[in-house]
Amino acid sequence: MLLPGFDYLDPKNLEEALDLLAVHKEDAKVLAGGTDLLVRMKKGLLAPKVLISLKSLNELSYIKEEAGCIKIGARTPLADIIASGTVQDNARALSQACEKIGAITMQHYRGTIGGNILQDNRCHHYNQSDFHRSGHQACHKNGGKICYARENADRCNSTCQSDGSTALMALGAKLVLLSKGHERTVDLDKFYTADGIMPHDMESHELLKDIIIPINGARSAYRRLAYRSAIDYPIVCAGVLVRPSDSQKDRIDEARIVVGAMGRAPLFLAQASSSLKGKKLDDTDAFRKAADASMDSAATFAVHNVGSTLEYRCSMISPLVLQGLKEAASEK
Amino acid sequence: MSDHTLIGTRMPRVDSRAKVMGKAKYTADLKLPHMLVGKIKRSPYAHARILNIDTSKAEALPGVKAVVTGKDTEGVKWGVFPYTRDQQFIQIEKARYIGDEVAGVAAIDEETALRALDLIEVEYEELPAIFDPMEAMASDTELIHEDFPNNINIHVNIDTGNVEENFEKAYYIREDTFMASEESYFHAEPYAVVARFDHEGCLEVWCPNAGPHMKSKPLSNSFKIPLHKVKIKKIAIGGAFGGRSEICPADYICALLAKKTDKPVKIVFTREENTIATRQGHAMITTHKTGVDREGRVLARETTCYMDGGAYSSTGPIATSVPFLSMEQAYRMESVRYNGYRIYTNKPIRGMIRVHGRGFACGVDTQLDMIADHLGIDPVEIRLKNSRQPGDYTSTKSYVSSCAMDETIHKAVEKSGFKEKWGKLPPFHGIGIGTNSVQTGFPMGIRGGSQSFIKFNEDGEATVMSGVVDNGQGNENMLVQIAAEELGLLPEDIHLVNADTETTSSDPGSYSQVSTFVGGHAVKIAAENCREKLFKVAAKVLKVDPQELAAKNRLIFVRDDPEKSIPIKKVVRISLLNFTSVNAEGGYWPKVDMKREWVKNPYGQMCEAFSFGTTIVEVKVDPDTGQVEVLEATAAQDVGYALNPLILEGQFEGSIAMGGQGGMLTEYHEWMDGRCINPTMLDYKVPLACDMPRINNIIVESIDPKGPYGAKEAGMSIAMSAAQGYSGAVSNAIGVFLDSFPLTPDKILAAIKEKETRQLKRENADKTEVN
Ligand SMILES: Cc1cc2nc3c(=O)[nH]c(=O)nc-3n(C[C@H](O)[C@H](O)[C@H](O)COP(=O)(O)OP(=O)(O)OC[C@H]3O[C@@H](n4cnc5c(N)ncnc54)[C@H](O)[C@@H]3O)c2cc1C
Ligand code: SF4
Repeated sequence: MLLPGFDYLDPKNLEEALDLLAVHKEDAKVLAGGTDLLVRMKKGLLAPKVLISLKSLNELSYIKEEAGCIKIGARTPLADIIASGTVQDNARALSQACEKIGAITMQHYRGTIGGNILQDNRCHHYNQSDFHRSGHQACHKNGGKICYARENADRCNSTCQSDGSTALMALGAKLVLLSKGHERTVDLDKFYTADGIMPHDMESHELLKDIIIPINGARSAYRRLAYRSAIDYPIVCAGVLVRPSDSQKDRIDEARIVVGAMGRAPLFLAQASSSLKGKKLDDTDAFRKAADASMDSAATFAVHNVGSTLEYRCSMISPLVLQGLKEAASEK
Repeated sequence: MSDHTLIGTRMPRVDSRAKVMGKAKYTADLKLPHMLVGKIKRSPYAHARILNIDTSKAEALPGVKAVVTGKDTEGVKWGVFPYTRDQQFIQIEKARYIGDEVAGVAAIDEETALRALDLIEVEYEELPAIFDPMEAMASDTELIHEDFPNNINIHVNIDTGNVEENFEKAYYIREDTFMASEESYFHAEPYAVVARFDHEGCLEVWCPNAGPHMKSKPLSNSFKIPLHKVKIKKIAIGGAFGGRSEICPADYICALLAKKTDKPVKIVFTREENTIATRQGHAMITTHKTGVDREGRVLARETTCYMDGGAYSSTGPIATSVPFLSMEQAYRMESVRYNGYRIYTNKPIRGMIRVHGRGFACGVDTQLDMIADHLGIDPVEIRLKNSRQPGDYTSTKSYVSSCAMDETIHKAVEKSGFKEKWGKLPPFHGIGIGTNSVQTGFPMGIRGGSQSFIKFNEDGEATVMSGVVDNGQGNENMLVQIAAEELGLLPEDIHLVNADTETTSSDPGSYSQVSTFVGGHAVKIAAENCREKLFKVAAKVLKVDPQELAAKNRLIFVRDDPEKSIPIKKVVRISLLNFTSVNAEGGYWPKVDMKREWVKNPYGQMCEAFSFGTTIVEVKVDPDTGQVEVLEATAAQDVGYALNPLILEGQFEGSIAMGGQGGMLTEYHEWMDGRCINPTMLDYKVPLACDMPRINNIIVESIDPKGPYGAKEAGMSIAMSAAQGYSGAVSNAIGVFLDSFPLTPDKILAAIKEKETRQLKRENADKTEVN
C-alpha cells in the first residue's frame, strides 16, 4: 500500500511548530511516531497535505516531577515511560498500560505518549483498505449516513482503543494544549466529543504539549484483554485508582474506575467509583459490586467493532475492574 | 547405527544464512529492465452479474501500458481436474466473491496502476449472495455455478459395506456434530508474480509455488504454447502450506499483461489480497456417528461432512477427501461410510491447508474421548484399542507397511506424564491427546514421479538437478544432504538447480508430503548411479573391485583399507581424459493404484507410506476470562527416519503453532456479507513466538521399507494432532466436550457458565427432592 503524497515539514522548535500549525490548520497533521497516523494514511483514510514532524522537538520529550505532579512531554517515547521510576511509583497504571502497547519495538523506536492519546478511534468496518470499503455504502465516518456497527446509529461509535488514555483517565490526568499565542489545560475526562468521527475535543491548529498526573498517594492498576500477548489492541481494558484517606489509612477517600476499548472514549464510571468512597481497602465485596456496576453502565456504550464478541467483551468488564481494584488496593 | 556422514545429522540448512541475513531474493524483490507494475481490479460484490466494463478512461491515463479484461482471455477456464474447470482467470459474466478478478492493469508505477484501477468502470447487477453452505445446498434456484445443482460442487462417497450390520452389533453408539470455521495461512511472503515473454516467445514466470510443473502446464494450455516454452523459474519462497498448490489467476493476468505490453510485469499482492484472493482452509460441519463394542473398539462409523468451498472448485475433490483419509489411516474401523459434500458459497476460494479440517479431526478424537468417558476407560486406552497397526489395510484398501502409531502414543504419554495427570489435575487444568496420520503422496498420474540429473564438473564438484521446490520447509537442504552423502562430497560441493521447469524434469510438487519420499528418493538414486560410475574408474586406479569402495569427504577409498584412496576430483579428471563424462540420472515413481480417483473410485493403494503421530497438550484455563495458557505440548511422530532432526524439529514446532496455538485458540475470520473483516496480520491472530508453549519433540523411527533411508513425511501431520490435543486439553480442563472450533475465550467461557448453570439446576432439583 502506498503512502499518499504530502509535504514534510520539520520545525526546529515549538514556536516554529505552532506557527506552521496556525498557517496550515486542517491541511496539516502532526507526525510524532507515525505508528497510528501513517497506517491510516496508507489505508487511504486520510491524506493531509502537510505533515509537521515533531522529530526535532526534543523539548517535548521529558518526564519530570513538578509542583506535586508528574509532567510528561507529549513526544516522550513509550519506552521512557515504562522505564521511569516516578511513573512506576506514582502512576503504576500508566506504566502497566504502556507495557502492553503494540510491541517492544514500537515502544522503543516510534510510539509516543502524545500519539497514543491522540490516536484515532478504531472500527473494523472503517479501518480497512479502499477496496474493502468500496462495494458497500459509506458509513458515517466514511462520509455516509449509516453505521455497520450499530443499527440506526445517528453517529459514529468507533472505539477508543488507547491503552494510555484509559490509564491516564483513571489517574485523573490533564492535558496541556498549545496553539499560537494560547495555552489551555483540560481534564482528560472532558477531552472527548460525542462523535467517533472526531473523538477529541481539539482544534486542528492545537498541539499537545504535555500530560499532567497528580501525585497524591493514590494507588493504581491497569488490566486489559487481547487475543495475543503482543501486537494486539485491547478488546476491553480497565484503569483503576484508589486513594486512601489521609486520616484513615485503610479507607478509600477517592476511587476512579475507567473502562476502555468499550466506547468512543475511555469511560469514567462516576457512580461505581463513588460507591467505594469510605469503603475499606480490603472490602472485596464492595469491589465486586463496583465492578458489576461498572459493567452494567459501560456495556451500554459498546458496539461490536473491534473483534471478539460484544457479549464476551462486556462480560469481561467486571473481572478486569475487580482484578484492578484488588491489585491497586493491595499495592504497597 | 548408521555409517552416514550427513544423513541423520543436525546439519544446519544450506539456505538459512541467506534468509536470516535478508539476502535471499523473493519474487517481490525482483527487478527486471523496463518492468511494469501490475494490479488487479477485483469485484467488491459477493455475487454480481457483470453488465459492462469500460476501460477507456484507464487506458487513456498516461503511464498505463495495458488493460486486460475477460475478453482478452478467450474464455479459458481453470480447474485442477477436467471435471472441475469452473474458474475463469478474469471473470466475464459474473463475479462470485468479493475479490474475484475482473480486470488487470500494467503501468509504469504503482500509483498510476492504482489510479487506473479506479478509472476502470464496471457495471454490475448485484445478485443474491449465499454465504451459508447449508443454505446454499438447500437452494434449487440461487445457483453460483449454473451446472451444479444445489450448489454441490463435489460429493465424495466412500462405503466399505456392513455399516448398518455393525451398528446393530455395537454396544454403544453416539452421534455428535462438530463445527469449525475457515482459516488462513498468513504466509510470511504475500503472493507475488513476475512474468515476461522473451525474444523466442518463451514465457518466463517467477512466483511462489508448491510445484513449478503444476504452474507451467495450465499456463501452456491457456496461452496455447508448448510446455517447453513456459519457464517457471526458481525463486525463494516464503511459505505455501497448501495455499499455493495450483495456478493463481494473477499468474495468468501477469503473463497476459506481459504479452500485451511486451515488457516484464510484476504483481505483488497486498496482505488483504493474499488473504482473500489466494486460498483459505474450508469451514466445515461434520457429524460422526460411531458404534463401539464393550471394549471401545470401533465397529462402525458414519461421517457426513459439509464443507464451505467458496466460489470455485480449486482442489475440491482432494480437500473433500483428505480429512476422511487422515481419520481412516490413523484409526482402524470395521466398517465406515463417508459422505463429503463441498458446497459453493459466495466466499473466497477454499483449497488445501496444512490442517485438513480441524473440525473433522477434532471431532473424531473428541468423540473417542466421549466414548471412553462413557465406557470408563481413559483416552490413551481407547486410542490404543483402535490405532492403526503395520501390515493393515486402510478402509479404502491401502496397505500400510510401516507404522509406529503405538510407539508414538506410548512415548508421548510417558514424556508428558499423561497417565499421572489424567483425572488428577486441579480444576481448570487439563490434558488432552490427539493422533494423526497423513499420506505420503497420492496418485497423480503422469506427474506422480520425480527425476534427477547429476553432473560432475572438472573440479570434482557436482551439479544436482531436481524438480523439487522448497517453500521454506528445508527441501533444498534435504536434496543437498542426500546428494552429498551419496557422492561422498561436502554440502558446499553441491550446486543445486531445482524447481525450474526449463532445466528440471517433472516432479509432483511439495504439497502432498512427497518431496523427500519421491523427489529426495530420485536424487538418491541418481547419486548412487553417479557414484557407481566414479567407483568404476577409481577401482581401476586403486586396483580393487568397485564393490570394495566407499566415498566420503571428497575421497574414494577402500572400505577395509581407508589409506588406499583417491580424491574424487582426480577420478573425475581421469574419467574425462578417458573420454567419459561423469553424470547420471535417477528417478522414482511410487507404486500407487493409478485407477484410484478421488470421486469416481476412492479405493486402492493411495501412496506407499503413511506417517503417524501423537500430540499431547497440557493447559490451564482462566475460569474468569476463558483465556487459555498452554503449559506444554508434546509431539511424537513416526517420520520413518529422521534425515535431519534439526529441520524436523522446526516442522514439529511450526505445526504446533499453526495447528494448535493459532489454529485452535485464536485464528478465525470474521465476515460481514461475504466481506472479510480481518484480512490483515494485526486482526487475524496468528500466534507470536512469545505466545508459544514449551514443546517436547519426540522423533520416532519406523524405517519405511520404501522411503529413502526409511524416511516418510513430517510437515503436515503434527499440525492435525496438535489441533486435537489442544481441543482435548481444553475440554478436559473445563469438563465440557467442546464442539466448535477454534476455542476462543468467549466460547470457553460460555461453556463454563453453561455447565455451572446446569450443575446449579441439578443441585436445586436434588434439594427439592430431599425436601
Ligand atoms: C501494530 C500496531 C499495534 C498497536 N497496538 C496498540 C495497543 O495495543 N494499544 C494502543 O494504545 N495503541 C496501539 N497502537 C497505536 C499506536 O502505535 C500507539 O498508540 C502509539 O503510541 C502512537 O504514537 P505515535 O507517536 O506513533 O502516534 P502518531 O501516529 O504519530 O500520532 C497519532 C495521532 O496523534 C496526533 N499527534 C501525535 N502527537 C501529537 C501532538 N503532540 N500534538 C498534536 N497531535 C499529535 C497525530 O497527528 C495523529 O493524528 C498500535 C499500532 C500498531 C501499528
Ligand atoms: S462505528 Fe459505524 S460509523 Fe463509526 S466507523 Fe464503525 S461503522 Fe463507521
